[in-house]
Amino acid sequence: MNVLQFLSRIGTLARWEVKRAFGVMGKGMLPMAFVLFVLLVAATGFAAERGLHLQDGIYSLGADDAVVGDIFSGDERFSISIGDERALFRERAAYDIIIIGGQVYVQDTERGRSALKTLERDYQQYLDSVYSLQQDLFAAYPLWIDLQEVKSELDFSATQSGMQISIAPSSTAPPVPEGPVGEVPVPEPGVAFSTEELRQGLIASSEPQSQLARYSDLVGPESPFGSFKTPSQLSPPLPFDSILLVFLFIFPLYFMSQFSMMSIMQERLERRGEVLLSTPAGAPAIIFGKALPYFVGMLAISAGIALWLSAPLVILLPLLPVILFFLANALIIGMVARSFKELSFISIFFSTVATSYLFFPSIFANVHVISLVSPLTLIVLSLQGEPYTISQYFFSTSLFFLTSAVLFYVGIANFREERLFSQAGIFYRVREFISTSLSSRHPWASLFGVNALLVPFVFMVQMLLLVLFFNLPMPLSLVLLIVSAAFVEEIAKSVGICTFLLDTPSRWSWAMVIVGSAVTAAAFLFAEKLLLLVTMAQVTESVFGSILFLSTGALVFPFLLHFTGVLCVAGLVRHKGSAGYIPGILIATLVHSLYNAYFILGWLS
Amino acid sequence: MALIMKKDLRGLGRERTIMLAILLQLFVALFSSFLMVGLTSMYDPSSLARFSGVKYQVAYVGGPSDLEGLLAKSGQFRVYPMDLPTAVTALGERKLSAVIHVPPTLKDAKDPVKITLYSIQNDIQSTIVNVKLKEVFLDYEEELRRVRSERLDLLPVSLEFPASRPGPGFYEFIYGLLIPLLLFMPAIISAALIIDLITEEFQHHTIETLLSTPMTMAEVVWGKIAACIVLVPLQTGTWLLLLTLNRIPIANIPQILAQVLSFSLVLVLIGALTALYYRERTAAQFIFSTAVVVLMLAVLAFPNNPLNLIALLSTGSAGIPHWSVLGGTLLLCGGLGVLTHLYSGRVSTRVPGE
Repeated sequence: MNVLQFLSRIGTLARWEVKRAFGVMGKGMLPMAFVLFVLLVAATGFAAERGLHLQDGIYSLGADDAVVGDIFSGDERFSISIGDERALFRERAAYDIIIIGGQVYVQDTERGRSALKTLERDYQQYLDSVYSLQQDLFAAYPLWIDLQEVKSELDFSATQSGMQISIAPSSTAPPVPEGPVGEVPVPEPGVAFSTEELRQGLIASSEPQSQLARYSDLVGPESPFGSFKTPSQLSPPLPFDSILLVFLFIFPLYFMSQFSMMSIMQERLERRGEVLLSTPAGAPAIIFGKALPYFVGMLAISAGIALWLSAPLVILLPLLPVILFFLANALIIGMVARSFKELSFISIFFSTVATSYLFFPSIFANVHVISLVSPLTLIVLSLQGEPYTISQYFFSTSLFFLTSAVLFYVGIANFREERLFSQAGIFYRVREFISTSLSSRHPWASLFGVNALLVPFVFMVQMLLLVLFFNLPMPLSLVLLIVSAAFVEEIAKSVGICTFLLDTPSRWSWAMVIVGSAVTAAAFLFAEKLLLLVTMAQVTESVFGSILFLSTGALVFPFLLHFTGVLCVAGLVRHKGSAGYIPGILIATLVHSLYNAYFILGWLS
Repeated sequence: MALIMKKDLRGLGRERTIMLAILLQLFVALFSSFLMVGLTSMYDPSSLARFSGVKYQVAYVGGPSDLEGLLAKSGQFRVYPMDLPTAVTALGERKLSAVIHVPPTLKDAKDPVKITLYSIQNDIQSTIVNVKLKEVFLDYEEELRRVRSERLDLLPVSLEFPASRPGPGFYEFIYGLLIPLLLFMPAIISAALIIDLITEEFQHHTIETLLSTPMTMAEVVWGKIAACIVLVPLQTGTWLLLLTLNRIPIANIPQILAQVLSFSLVLVLIGALTALYYRERTAAQFIFSTAVVVLMLAVLAFPNNPLNLIALLSTGSAGIPHWSVLGGTLLLCGGLGVLTHLYSGRVSTRVPGE
């Protein structure tokens, strides 16, 4: 079959798919969808205007002065009552906060403390609103800070992970730079903006904050004057608007991948797909043909949104791997699920995990390089008008490309009758899918292949763990990361060999178990190093990176470690059958964690 | 009806998919809590034990001012008087954490005091140092404001706050966001479930078999609705129990359960109507989920909506109009219920378009 023929088959199948999809949706759905879309726009506008009322009246505030009450009346979280001071004092137990004669009294409860925090923040906002109206603006805002960022010539990744270089408490003399001292222009004492410009900017930034900012005071108001800030604007800003826009891009992708998932499932209903399978098209053409319309649709919608936002079309580049990843997962989920219920649950689960992976890191876009594990961070950066480099693009997208490719391969290999129409349970089916990908005639080669192909997934999960744990205080995050990373790795390594052992236990002698473990370890090490070499330089340099990926130097120890881990699991499974799997994994994780702890913590101290 | 309910519940149990749903909610809760802890500790350095007690080395460039004293007094910084080029070069080599350039502007001058702060680009430690410096700058701003206070023409109402600084509170996040959303999840899950259960019977053509027994369509539909509703208190109860075990006390649990059940019923009934109308999963799920988003936005735009009430009930606030809202929701349920009952009697057994 030549390439042209293959392409024309894909084209035909894609046309069928479009026709089928519109056949399903045409009746009554499109007009309804249109009505709902109009309603959605209206509801969004309505909600944006009125605000979301989730926490209204959560605190109660009593004041003896209506003027004081008015200050806080804009914040719906307070239910405010005005009374005379005696009555307020008598009924103080009914209030979280009472304000008598300008003095704030607060209940010593968790809610009281939280209310106080909110009150202080609101009061600060009130002060700002008064100050920005002063005739003499510089009497109210006497201090301005010009924040100049200096690029460090040293590798910045060391401090990224929380290590400190510049602490040398013993010396009392000022530090002396080693390199030549460069020219630094002395800053002008004057202010580069006119008073009115500053006033307008201050009024704009003292507008009530977005509701997200309620949960912490970390996200300071963003200064409208670039590097020029008042002291309270010194916290790093949260790229809130960009993050909302990113969500706008991701949301349609969910729906499209749902449609594609359902289209795969549709073929499996009452063995309808048998007709398709009996055509000469072949699994690859069927899968790509069915995916193509959705792929084009997703790209078109994203491009449409980008044009509507008048954002550069370059932001489609980071979306590309995300779209492929969604489609690949839709294929597998559509092939694995036994019923509609299962389809719903797995797809909800998948989209939550995927959202967390994609979304949360981008919150840190302005703070930390870890945020680059998500391609969406690149979109946030583009929307903010900051360019990204090619190596950053590879870093954040390569895992998505690789895992999508592997998933498509597994889908194609399993796209045949006995797999599609089987009704076995989900875990069993996943095992079946893997064992189809393994060849019993070439056990070593396929073991090597499976393990090498699993490495991108392991990296992906470990990246998710990294995002999860790097937030925690230092020693705790290290320990959690060591243990969980080891656990994930051991599970991944055990998949191939244990599938063999459970499928055909009789063929596997103890000698073969040992050779199999060695092959697994070698494959893992090989793929790990290869992937590291290509993409991961940014994270591997930090402490966290070295836990996940060990050192890039020596090969013997990592090999022995991987080998021992697999052998623990495989040996127990060989000995006890599937009952030995969980103890095996636990032992292997323990060994792995101890090794990592010894090397990394030893290296740290 | 009870038969259908048992059949569907057994199917769910067999597939163990409900486990996935619980796992999912756990994951969401875990992730969001981790995120909160992380965000706070990143920006509120005092919660990071590792960073407290450490003195950051800061260069001070310029003539003497009160700022120098404030920096030294805060106890967080080791201040070196230096000249600008040397200091900035040392900063580039990470021998300093920040460089502060102070101009010779007088405290009571007409112009503002413009300080130039040099810090290291894209660096987590300099983020922390900046937050610490911010506190010192705020004190200095206060001092300058006091000196210039006679020039103010609008005086704000002054309030005295108690001296105790509030700790890193997650109170509002937990009670005002996490709990309402967690308790809303079971409703969404059950509504998605009813669509699957109904459309599956049509698309697998098993509905004809079911109807060949003495059962009517309405009974089948009500059986499925019952199966979905039974799951709601189970999931909600698990959540409330888990939260209580985490030492997050929750008040008014029966009233909360009543609220959750009532709005779950609304969503499930809307889901059932959509599923009966389309009898095809893709269309029904798509239309339903869009409709839910519209509904949610519209409802949340009003105070005293069910989610708001859950937040208030769980904190134990007094005097909440939750009974009347519950009554309203139940009235809505009644209307939707009658509609579902009547409509299910008239619906065809075929999937449209087949």
